[in-house]
This record gives sequence, C-alpha cells and structure tokens, in this order.
Amino acid sequence: MIATFFLLALLQVKVPDAAQFVGQPQGTPLTGQQLEQQTMAISHELRCPVCQGLAIGDSPSIMASNMKAQVRELLERGYTEEQILSYFEKSYGQFVLLKPKFQGVNALVWILPIAVLAIGFVLVVSKAKKLEVAPVHAAVEEEPTDDPYLARVREMVEKS
Amino acid sequence: MTATLGRFLILASVLVSTTGAFIAYAAGAKRSPEGLKWSQRFAYAFAGLMVLATGVMEYALITHDFSVQYVAHVGSTQVPLWVTIVSLWSSLEGSILFWGFILGIYIAGTTWVNRNQHQEYMPFAIGTWLSCGAFFSFLIAGPANPFLSVSPVPLDGPGPNPLLQNHLLMIIHPPMLYLGYVGMTIPFGFAVAALLRGRLGQSFLRPLRASLLLPWVFLTIAIMLGGWWAYEVLGWGGYWAWDPVENASLLPWLTATAALHSAIVMERRGVLKGWTVTLIQASFLLTILGTFMTRSGVFNSVHSFTQSSIGPTILIFLTAILLFSVILLALRIDSLESEGRIESAVSREGMFLVNNLFFVVFTFTVLVGTVFPLVVEAIKGKQMSVGRPYFDAMVVPVGTALLFLLGVGPALPWGKTNRKEMLRALLPPLITGAIALGIGYAFGVRNAWTLLTLLFGGYAAHVTFAQMWLPLRQRLKKGDSFAPALIDTQLRRGRRRFGGYVVHAGAVIVFVAIAVSSTMRTQQEVTLTRGQSTTFAGKTVTFLGSEERTEPHRQSTIARFNVAKNGKTVTTMEPRMNQYAAMREPIGTPAVYSTIGGDYYLSIMNLQGDQAGVLIINMPMVGWIWGAVLLMGAGGLIALIPVRRRTYVVVPESAPAIDDEAIA
Amino acid sequence: MNRTVLIIGIVIVAVIVFVLFAGLGKDPQHIDSPLVGKPAPPFALKAVNTGETIDLESLRGKPVIVNFWATWCVPCYEEHPTLVANARQMPNVQFVGVVFNDTEDKINHFLAERGSAYPTLLDANGKTAIAYGVGGVPETYFINAAGTIVAKFEGPMSTEILQENLAKALR
Repeated sequence: MIATFFLLALLQVKVPDAAQFVGQPQGTPLTGQQLEQQTMAISHELRCPVCQGLAIGDSPSIMASNMKAQVRELLERGYTEEQILSYFEKSYGQFVLLKPKFQGVNALVWILPIAVLAIGFVLVVSKAKKLEVAPVHAAVEEEPTDDPYLARVREMVEKS
Repeated sequence: MTATLGRFLILASVLVSTTGAFIAYAAGAKRSPEGLKWSQRFAYAFAGLMVLATGVMEYALITHDFSVQYVAHVGSTQVPLWVTIVSLWSSLEGSILFWGFILGIYIAGTTWVNRNQHQEYMPFAIGTWLSCGAFFSFLIAGPANPFLSVSPVPLDGPGPNPLLQNHLLMIIHPPMLYLGYVGMTIPFGFAVAALLRGRLGQSFLRPLRASLLLPWVFLTIAIMLGGWWAYEVLGWGGYWAWDPVENASLLPWLTATAALHSAIVMERRGVLKGWTVTLIQASFLLTILGTFMTRSGVFNSVHSFTQSSIGPTILIFLTAILLFSVILLALRIDSLESEGRIESAVSREGMFLVNNLFFVVFTFTVLVGTVFPLVVEAIKGKQMSVGRPYFDAMVVPVGTALLFLLGVGPALPWGKTNRKEMLRALLPPLITGAIALGIGYAFGVRNAWTLLTLLFGGYAAHVTFAQMWLPLRQRLKKGDSFAPALIDTQLRRGRRRFGGYVVHAGAVIVFVAIAVSSTMRTQQEVTLTRGQSTTFAGKTVTFLGSEERTEPHRQSTIARFNVAKNGKTVTTMEPRMNQYAAMREPIGTPAVYSTIGGDYYLSIMNLQGDQAGVLIINMPMVGWIWGAVLLMGAGGLIALIPVRRRTYVVVPESAPAIDDEAIA
Repeated sequence: MNRTVLIIGIVIVAVIVFVLFAGLGKDPQHIDSPLVGKPAPPFALKAVNTGETIDLESLRGKPVIVNFWATWCVPCYEEHPTLVANARQMPNVQFVGVVFNDTEDKINHFLAERGSAYPTLLDANGKTAIAYGVGGVPETYFINAAGTIVAKFEGPMSTEILQENLAKALR
C-alpha cells in the first residue's frame, strides 16, 4: 500500500481524489475487523454499475472489486459512510445508491407503504365493525332453475 | 415441414380459442346446455392443439431440425439430451409456447373435472380461459413465433444459455414456476364467472379455493427453487436479491396466499366474497405483469430475456384485462351477497382480516419498490435505484407481524369468546416462545428482529402443533381408539385442516431459518497462496491449488480447498471461476458444504495462478429453508386431496331403465 | 355500480400502465452521468511506452476526448481503429486513452495490432475510472477547452457519434 503510494508519488502520478468531491475526512480511520465489517456494510449499499442490480459487495466483476477497494481505502483514511456514499453518488448519480435517499420524490417510496398500512388498518377496523352488525342471510345456494339437469329431474319427479 | 406443421397448429389454436371463447360466453349468457357442451369441446380442442404443437417443437429440438428457427437459436448437437429437452423453455419463444402448453392442460383438466357440475359457472369460466389462451396463441403465432423457417439451414446451433446448463435445479424451476403462474388463470376464470353471474354460491366456494391452491403449491416450491439455485450457482452467498423478476414471482404468491386465507372466512361465514374475488383476480393480473416484466426489457435484471417486440403486446393485453377486471368488479361486486357476519373482531375471523392487511401491505411494498425507479425516471428523468437495503428494511417488520399472526390467529377461537377463554388460549404458548428465545440467545443471537422472530416462532410452533392435534385429542377424550381416530381426523375428514397446519409448521421454520441465516451469517474475505491456510468459523481452509479446464462453452478455473475441523479433513471443496464465451464478466460457481446446522460456503473472488482471493461464508440453518418450503408444499397437497362426499349423480333422460316411480 | 371500487381501480390501473408504457423503449442498462456539465475530475497518469506523465489540467485550452477501454473488451477492440483514425485527422483535439486493471504487455500488444496515435494512460486501481463514474468499457468522455465534461458516451464509438459529441465540446 505505502510502496504503491511512494512509487506513484515518485512518478508524479495523481488520481482524482475523494477530497475533491467530499472534502476532508470527518470520521476516525478504521482498522482490522471493524474496517472489514464496515467495508462489507457499505459495499452492500452501493450498486455495481455493470451488473444487473447486484451490490458491489456481491459481485466478482473488476469494476466492483475496484470500487470495494476504494471504499476500504476511504474508510482507512477516516471518511464517514455518508461521505463515501456521497462520493460515489457524485460520480455515478443516485443510480449507484441501493437505498433510496429520503429526499424529494424519493421519499415517497418510504412513505407510501406506511401510509397504506395506516389507511388499511383503519379500513380493516371499520370493516370488522360493519361485519359485526351485518344482517345474516340464508346461505346463497344455486337456484334450482339454474341447473337444467336438475330442472329436468324435477320435472320428471313432478310428472309422476 | 416441421415448421409448417407447427405454424399450422398454432394458427388453428388461435382460431379454436377465439371461437371457443365467443361460444362459451354466449352459452353462459343464454344458459344453454348445448352451448356448454360445445364450449367444453373447444376447450379440449385448444388443449389438444397446444399439446401437439409442443410435441412438434420437442421433436424438432431432439432431432436437431435446424430449419425451425427456435431450434436454430437454442439447439446444438454438442449438448446432452436433457439440455436439449429443457431448451424448450430456455428462450423467449419457446417459453411462450410452453406457457400455452401448460395453460391448455390446466383448461382441459379443470373442464373435465367439472364436466357435470357447476354448469352455471363453467361457460363463463371456459370463455375467460379461452380468451387468455387466444392471447397467448396470438403471441406464439405472431411476435414470438418459434416455428418460423430458417433458410439456408445451418449445420449446428449455439445451444441454450450456458447459465442454464449449470445445475439440475434449472430443469425443475421453470416448469414449476409455469405450473404456478399459469395456474392462476383458472381461479381467475372462476372469479370472473362468479362476477358475470352476479352470485357466488356456497357449493362453488370449494372448487374456487381448490383451483387457487393447486397453482399456489407449485408457485411456493418454484420460488424456493429459484432462491436455492441462485444460492448454489451465483456465488454471492445469498438466495434472494429483490431482483425485479424475483419480485414478479413473489407478488402473485402474496395475493394468492391472502386469498386462500380470506376464502376460509368466506366458507365459514359467507362474508368477504367480493374481497376474495378481488384478490384472486389480482393474483392472475400480477402474473401477467410478471411476464411483462420478464420479457419486455424494461427492467434491469439477471433474469431478463433479451429485449424483443413482445413487450408492447403484453402491455396492451395487461391494460385490457386490468380495465376489464376493474369494470367487472365495480359493476358486480355488490351483487355477491354476503350471508353472514362475524361475531367479534377479536376472534380468529378478525385475525384473518389483519392477516390480509399485512399481505396486502407486503405486496404493495414490493410492487412500489420494484416500479419506483421507473416512476421517477418517467416523471423527473433521473435514475435512481431501489435495492436490497430498502426491501429488507421494509419487509422484515411486515414479515415479523405475519409470523405473530401465525401464532395468535389460530390460537384464538372462532366467534365471540370471553376474556378468560381468550387468555387461556393466548398465554400458554408464550412459554414455548420464551424457550425458543432462550435457546437462540444461548447460541449467540443478539439481533433484535431475530430474537423477536424466535419468540413469535416458538409461540406459533406451539399453537400450530396444539391446533393440529386438537381434533385427535377431542376424539381420544371421547373414548375413541388411537389409530382410527388419527387416520380419520388428520387424513380423512380433517385433511384440509391438517394440511393447512402442516403448511403453517413449514412456514414457521422458514421464518426462523431466514432470520437466523441472515443475521447469524458470518463471512471472511481472504487471499491465500497455495498451501496457505486460514481458520474461520471453527474450520480450517487450506488452498491446495488451481487448475484450468476448457469446456466447449466456457473456460473454468477450479480452485481446490481442503476443509478440516479439529485437524481432521471434513471435505474438499472446489469453487470455480467461469468465463463464458457469451458473457462479458466472469461468473463464479461456489462450493457449498451443507449440514443440518448450516452451510459452509466458498466462493472465488479472484484467482491468479497460485493466489486465490476467496470469500468464506458460514450460514447457519440455511438448508432448513429449502426443506421447510417443501413441507409447505406437501401441506398444500394434503389439503388438496378431495374429501369424498355424497354426490347426486343425475342420470340423463335417454337411459331407458329409469322408472319414474323409482325416482319419486 | 360500486363507485369506490371503480375509482380506486382506475387510478391504480392508470398509474401502472402509464409507468410501464413510459419504461418501454428505454434501455435499462444505460446510466445517465451526473458529471455532464461539471468540471472534469483532474488526474495525472503515466503513459505506457513513453513513461511520461500526462496531466489533464495541462491539456486545457483544447478539447479533450478521454476513452476508457481494456484489452479484454471486444467492442473496444473494434472501436480502436476509428479512434486512431479520427485522432490523426484532428490534431487540434487531444485524444487520451485510459486503461485500468490490465498489464502493460497486453496493452502494448493491443496497440501494436490496432494502432496508436495518442497517449494511453495506466489507471492503477481504477480510481480514475471510479471518479469518472465509469461503469463498463468502452466509455468515452468529451471535455471542452475550459475543462468541463460536455458529453459521455457508453459503448463502441463510431465516427458519426464521435463528431456529434465533439460538436458539443467545440461550442
């Protein structure tokens, strides 16, 4: 890791850095088990741009591996989850976020199911109350005249 | 020659189904027994033509007749026979033909079973089924014609998609799925018939429910097989990704399950008829939506067939039947008289209502999540994703609520009860719930939702078992001897009840296994050089080396690992990295070591000579999911076996031996 | 006629049908780039063969076409001669190729076979690609003389498409 940096610095190579997109790291650098776990967690929130809907944590493709490595490096440098997600969002668009942001139109996807649950609950309670006082009819059976065979039998019975 | 024969059969089926539909609807409107007879004949004819056409296609496939376009697309002389046979449903055109085949069998079967009954409903039902048949025949004859001729005739073909040749599960998953999906057409036809007739009589409730239960069984198993296949073959260690096409298969299952439950209240109390009919219609409509999602190319999914012009056609059909269903419902739903009432909302009946509520919310959430990106793109022109984190966050609470109801619902008695009885029913299972919770905690479960699932699961298991054996206990109390009472209560008269509780038992295990396998899962990504080992989850994994293998359709690199526990070798695992000629990115095939306790899962992330980047996953209880779903299917089948009742056989006038006096 | 059922039903049907119709004809694989209209992320990468470092900022003043590709990518193989031909014909436009996750040997082999008329840069761990929001290869970015990305094209390049997008950079 350090050797690569050294080498790259020597060659005056520079790659676009997260700092340009999201500023300085605002969290603490992670290491060891915590680093791995957070990398995994964030990798499951980012969508692999070449796969069909998979998260970068689940995809073996090259692009996904690069992105995961980038996530790990940013965590090592102390970037927060928010910053990392924001960085990828700035390059790829909201498309890359698997969890829709709760803003603007996107908030609807979170609100609608809860609204349906609430409205549905009210409907269920009112329907239950209605059914409690519903008048009871006789069981709806098939009218004899509807069945031509039975009608014929009845005819024959009545004839005899 | 074969192609021409196939095209002829398909055109004939378009004609037969269209004409049959008209005749059947007319017969229903006029209540003509003659018309019904003809409708039945057309139904059988349609089925016969579909079976023949499919037979012709299979024959063309097996004899490698590359003059038929579909065979030229998916056939190959290089693949084994079983691959050739299943390539019937491996690609779009063949799969629609397969759809027609299954539909034909369902229509013929249901018509035959009901040939002497329910004459008031059958014509309308046949008319509806044949209308759907007409649409699919039209698809096969037109936009998705597999029987087009190819000239000049190629010498060989590319074979079906290599991913489909990977695993035996691919043979059963599509037919099961079609048996489930297509089967939803049958109860839809019955529902439409009831609405057109303006009545849903007591004697029709059972056939309606049975016609829904059979495809439900297939669909349940099919969804599980899909998940199992993804788990065994795709390498990311999961079985459900909330992929749009996966969701498409789940949506009708959810509404069908809700309908099966509300149908119980319908049979018992004569209420909720309109609602059950709505759910049944929704189940069918969702299958058409599902087929649109899979074939239109609108959704980004691993399952998508290649884009084709078939999308708009299906969408037009979908729009038409949606409008038809809504208008029919609006016109006739009030005429489905409800005959009864429920005595108290806090009762088993009431819990069925809440159950339906949660199933509907579940369906709505999955539907919204799946189409939301399309909505946003249509309105704002921006792209966004709704992925696994969303669905997991929303579905887990709903699922947990359903598990809660699975316990509390059957515990409550039917009808009105007093407080004392209710507590007597509701409190004891808490002990089992607490025990389950304790066991989980002892094993290290700390996730709040999983602990809750264990509590509710233990509770539900207790209730399910208690209810399952209740009739037997009652008989034993009366003094009956054990064996005959057992057979009678569970396998003879109480079959539907017993089957239902078997399904519930399976469901409880599924809930718990999903919760445990998701939250107690641990994984480690590590790079090993040859000979190097790592220890994870109590096992030591040693990288033995890799080898390359070239097969006609793919280049595989196989890595061999030795897995040992306490120094003793347990197994050798060989995950691989496959580069298919047809695909851009490599696909890994994992190696899975399954035991009762859980699975040990190895998947290659990257492989270069002597260095392997491997993902090791330890997933407890995952295998329980597959078995428990099979149990659910078995329960459904048990409930389906008809109970023999006394039926009155009407002897037609022409029989000479009838003595008028004898009848009187 | 049950009005409630009718209204709720029609609303649901309308939403579903509208959304699905709107979805038809769109390519679900295509991703809109949020970087269009924004300044191009700066980078300085080493070129294969020459070993010199090319800095994007130093190229300001003329339009730049950045083409991300890889040796194992079939459409890249096919589009390469088109890029080379266009590069030769337009010396006032700077073409730059960027390759990630590849070896210098393979790249040199590729260039020897398909032609080379502009620097090909090595992006060591694909970080530049990530910053540019590259999903797959080939993807080509068109940057104007002021350093703003004016267009992004996914897929193999043809002279037509190149000229079309280049026109945006030349405005």
